[in-house]
Amino acid sequence: MATPKELSSSNNVNNTVVGPSILISGRLTGDEDLTVRGRVEGELTLSRTLIVEPSGVVKANVAVKNAIVSGVVVGNINATESVELTREGRMVGDIHAPRVIIVDGASFRGRVDMGDVEPGRLPAERPTVARPTTTARPTTTPARPAPPAARPTPPPPPARTAPPPAATRPAPAPAAPAARPGAKPMPPPPPPTRVEARPAPAPVEQATSAEPPSVLGAGAKKKVVVKKKAR
Amino acid sequence: MANTVIGSSIVIDGEISGDEDLVIQGTVKGKISLKESLYVEGSGVVEADIETQNVEIAGRVTGNIVASDKVELKTDCRVVGDIKAPRILIADGASFKGNVDMDMKER
Amino acid sequence: MATGETGIIGKGIVIKGNLTGGGDLVIEGRVEGQIALKNHLTIESTGKVQADIRAEELTINGEASGNIDASTRVAINASAKVAGDIKAPRVVIEDGAVFNGSIEMDVKLPDDI
Repeated sequence: MATPKELSSSNNVNNTVVGPSILISGRLTGDEDLTVRGRVEGELTLSRTLIVEPSGVVKANVAVKNAIVSGVVVGNINATESVELTREGRMVGDIHAPRVIIVDGASFRGRVDMGDVEPGRLPAERPTVARPTTTARPTTTPARPAPPAARPTPPPPPARTAPPPAATRPAPAPAAPAARPGAKPMPPPPPPTRVEARPAPAPVEQATSAEPPSVLGAGAKKKVVVKKKAR
Repeated sequence: MANTVIGSSIVIDGEISGDEDLVIQGTVKGKISLKESLYVEGSGVVEADIETQNVEIAGRVTGNIVASDKVELKTDCRVVGDIKAPRILIADGASFKGNVDMDMKER
Repeated sequence: MATGETGIIGKGIVIKGNLTGGGDLVIEGRVEGQIALKNHLTIESTGKVQADIRAEELTINGEASGNIDASTRVAINASAKVAGDIKAPRVVIEDGAVFNGSIEMDVKLPDDI
């Protein structure tokens, strides 16, 4: 309970809050931001922003303008603007949104559909609510200057060409503190999920074996199966 | 700790349960069961059976209320339904239609 | 870095076929076919890859279509446009990137879901 309370003290700007012990099951609709620290099951429709805090669980089909997931979401999210999974976010389901951000540390299984948009475009609007556990991006700039030059995270292409494998998380870590004045301390590095990561050596060995094409073929055929397993 | 607030534009059709205070400024239809206090504010509309420890109602409630401690109907509230609780307060100006049961065994 | 060698497929190069190797690779040109790489693959902003990709780690700044299987991490940066299914323990999508497809990571859910 300590974590959500700490979060709430500095970011309690929303009208509607579902506290950590509360369970709402059914259909929830509204025209204001909703912060979930407890549990919501069923169907959730908002014309504004859904914030699922680390203690929050949403097991619902969600239709919102923006969603920021630091807790758990099981279900599909349909957002007219953006969906962000923060480093603590966990989600199983499909995302349909023109902007989808998955931060290092987040875990996700499902489909992403951003539609047909141009990469690196400048979004028209940004979520205006407090972003309690967002990493790596400034909270204070509703409209950012054109990427990539002014973006905090990605250095210009040459800088990224061959980072050593050890430096696998260059983007979020250094950018975050500068980008969030007065922000809470960074949450601990990647959640336990990471431990279950598939061992690195296996595919590597296969890749060097005599028949890489067949390996790849197998990978490609998994496509459909993979999706089904995700449910 | 009034952690949970259902804002004025929110409509919930279903069940709410939990063991913390709940403030309703919006609309809840269905069922509410809490172990703590429920506050239905002036803008709040509840069409639900309510089971809780305490209830304070300034808005509109349609449904039966069972409270283990106290039910308080405030000025300008409109309540239709049966109330069962050991302590019931009805303020001047409150409107209420239904039965009251203050059975002493409960306490 | 695991190996000191980094291969570069320059801007003017077009490769059709299978690409396998042990070192790091940077693609600035075009590759169509299949890629199986032991280490880190980077697709630069000028790079266009139409291939199933298998690598330890993958960084995409350009365009990629095909299925991706990475043993550590896939980073889809802001300038990237990616279509396909991704399987990796860590997948990062930056704001501004375009991705259509599925992602499979391990998701540890609470027991009561």
